[in-house]
Amino acid sequence: MEFKSAEEGRIEKFPVGMRVLAVDDNPTCLRKLEELLLRCKYHVTKTMESKKALEMLRENSNMFDLVISDVEMPDADGFKLLETGLEMDLPVIMLSAHSDYDSVMKGILHGACDYLVKPVALKELQNIWHHVVKKNIKSYAKNIGTSRQLLPPSQSDLVPGVSKKRKDKVNDSGDDDDSDREEDDGEGSEQDGDESGTRKKPRVVWSQELHQKFVNAVQQLGLDKAVPKKILDLMNIEGLTRENVASHLQKYRLYLKKIDEGQQQNMTPDAFGTRDSSYFQMAQLDGLRDFTATRQLPSSGLLSRSHLTKIQPHLYSSINLQGMNSSGFIQQGHHQSSSNSANPFGTYHSTLPPRIQNVNLFQRTSSPLESLQFPRSKCSAYMGDFKSIGDRPIGGGFVDSCMSYGSSSTSLPSASTNTLMLQGNYTQPLHTVSSVNQPCIEKTLSNAASPNISVQGLSRLPSQSWQGNLNTTRFLSNSSPLNHAFFPDQVTCAGNNLGDCSSLVSAGNPGGGMQCEPQLLGGFLQNINSLDGQKWEQQNCSMVNNTFGNVEYPLPGDNMVFRENNAARSKGVDESLMSPIENSGNVNSQEYVGKPSTMVSAEMMKSGKPENAHIDNQNQHDVFDDIMNEMMKQEENNGMVSVAARFGFDSFPPP
Amino acid sequence: MDALITQLQRQFRDYTISLYQQGFLDDQFTELKKLQDDGSPDFVAEVLTLFFEDCVKLISNMARALDQTTGNVDYSKVGASVHQLKGSSSSVGAKRVKALCVSFKDYCDTQNFEGCVRCLQQVDIEYKTLKTKLQDLFNLEKQIIQAGGRVPQVDIN
Repeated sequence: MEFKSAEEGRIEKFPVGMRVLAVDDNPTCLRKLEELLLRCKYHVTKTMESKKALEMLRENSNMFDLVISDVEMPDADGFKLLETGLEMDLPVIMLSAHSDYDSVMKGILHGACDYLVKPVALKELQNIWHHVVKKNIKSYAKNIGTSRQLLPPSQSDLVPGVSKKRKDKVNDSGDDDDSDREEDDGEGSEQDGDESGTRKKPRVVWSQELHQKFVNAVQQLGLDKAVPKKILDLMNIEGLTRENVASHLQKYRLYLKKIDEGQQQNMTPDAFGTRDSSYFQMAQLDGLRDFTATRQLPSSGLLSRSHLTKIQPHLYSSINLQGMNSSGFIQQGHHQSSSNSANPFGTYHSTLPPRIQNVNLFQRTSSPLESLQFPRSKCSAYMGDFKSIGDRPIGGGFVDSCMSYGSSSTSLPSASTNTLMLQGNYTQPLHTVSSVNQPCIEKTLSNAASPNISVQGLSRLPSQSWQGNLNTTRFLSNSSPLNHAFFPDQVTCAGNNLGDCSSLVSAGNPGGGMQCEPQLLGGFLQNINSLDGQKWEQQNCSMVNNTFGNVEYPLPGDNMVFRENNAARSKGVDESLMSPIENSGNVNSQEYVGKPSTMVSAEMMKSGKPENAHIDNQNQHDVFDDIMNEMMKQEENNGMVSVAARFGFDSFPPP
Repeated sequence: MDALITQLQRQFRDYTISLYQQGFLDDQFTELKKLQDDGSPDFVAEVLTLFFEDCVKLISNMARALDQTTGNVDYSKVGASVHQLKGSSSSVGAKRVKALCVSFKDYCDTQNFEGCVRCLQQVDIEYKTLKTKLQDLFNLEKQIIQAGGRVPQVDIN
């Protein structure tokens, strides 16, 4: 989809190209669904396996705008997919052949945006884009323009109609309507604008107490059975929303995973190389994080996008919300950090006043991050945040304001600054897509200019993956030629992967065998053999079969290849540069990386980039970034200072 | 040639209508046809291929699950396959197959072995019958096209 600078034009283009992930284990239904979605001019990725769908979502949360999935699938519960999609703030539509009240209720209670009964009609699917808009109404409103008249009539008509739902949604989703998006309250509709303007939810601070309650609830339910809704009920905290819990749960799960691996691998820097600093924070909250990991975090955090997400927004919030309780974060589990003076991060934690160190690290970072991700809505929000810090451009200003708050060690500010810078870098490419975005971001992310230019080649959308962004930047600073060397490859891969209008990702053979086991139920089953089927095939479907075959098999191959290349390259680089631990660390962080970017992806959706071209860019960079990731890890080991210096962020004081 | 085309087209039309009237096909099949266009010229054939493959696979699953020689019948397994088949058949408009699945499901829920076996046999017959009929319809289409004619859009009242 053409990304027009005129917002009106852009809005008109959407929902064309809206990226839908379709999941159904029934091949007939899936094929029909795909065609229906294609008819609606959406971009469709289909898979028969719920696991595959989960993988795709986690790998790149920015890949899709909407998920539509059958609830009953043998290999996995459709509700698990629903949970994941919701964690990533994606609208999830449930599909089922069951239309009974209980099934529908179950779906809706689990947070499904909609529940469609099979067989699905075309007109039902033609409207599903509403859910994407609803989820991102604030961003859209802002993008549309400050005045409603820019909205095409159909949109204007639509928005009031959904405003009621939107209000309900606003009530329900605290995190998404964070204060940093208050500025986004443009006018999608009067009602919505007014509603969202007044309905600002405070950020959730995951204090130690809160986190402890959370952990208790999770343990009570059992980690496997812990779903946000139940956790929420058990915690019984007023004002806490399901979304808050969902995102926290997501981080917690990743953290636990990290812990497992870390304990096995004796935590090396790389294990946490590009780890989101939330792991670190989570560890601190849990008091489990070991010293080593803590030590490692700063350097990685410097370049880690997730770190950026975690630290920055939280710092903003801590600065903004002076009264926030940050004690939990600092006090517990900081034994490790404080005892190690060599640990910049630890130093940070021990020296920064509680005010700045805030548990907000844990809180949902989507909003601040989102603001970074989505230029349109972000600009003002972002600026707003910085304003509270100090009326300075990000880099220096941030550092200064940090400094002004107390005896913060240099490590954090520079880390933050760097991440900010990185953020700028990251967002810059994103914003290059839209000229509207760029000026906005450039303002807020000062030194973005030159780094951005170099990053543009990588043109990585921030939401892609933490790692990707991080690596991009690092790599960039180190060796541009390598960038370009990889880039074309990525393009190809991505092209194969994403160029198709609809890609079949399923690894399984949906067609099923023509053969079936004979000899069951006596002679009856002897009738059930492939003969008839073959006859059908031969008579009518040789062409069709070929078509079908062509459609099906090459695509998965391409996709597989794409993904395998991803892994292979990463591994290759890993081996050459790092120890196996780093390897797994990389993998882990990739996995994790997918998560926080969900927030980003939500924002991505908001700014409305369903275009395939966009996806192509993103995916190209995915692989590219993975490779870069490996390259950068080595850098990381060299220490924060050198990294910072390498970035050429001269304006920052070295850590 | 024109007379041939006209005749074929009439045959096609009549045959199509009869399939609907006899309850083999329903409006979902019509929807399926609507989704076929220049962009996806073999869509209907493709989906039907998938459907019939599905039938084979699912019926074999059901048969296996209903096989008492391996022990107790797992009706939930049978039910799961029936549910799948119901979904497939309803999305392609295989009306009779779908209707059978409804009663089949009931027998599964009540763990009525005889009822299940009966339904299984009927489903097998039904899908094969439908397949034959649709093959004939497709053949007619091919003939029309080969004769240089256009496949008519058939309005089902």
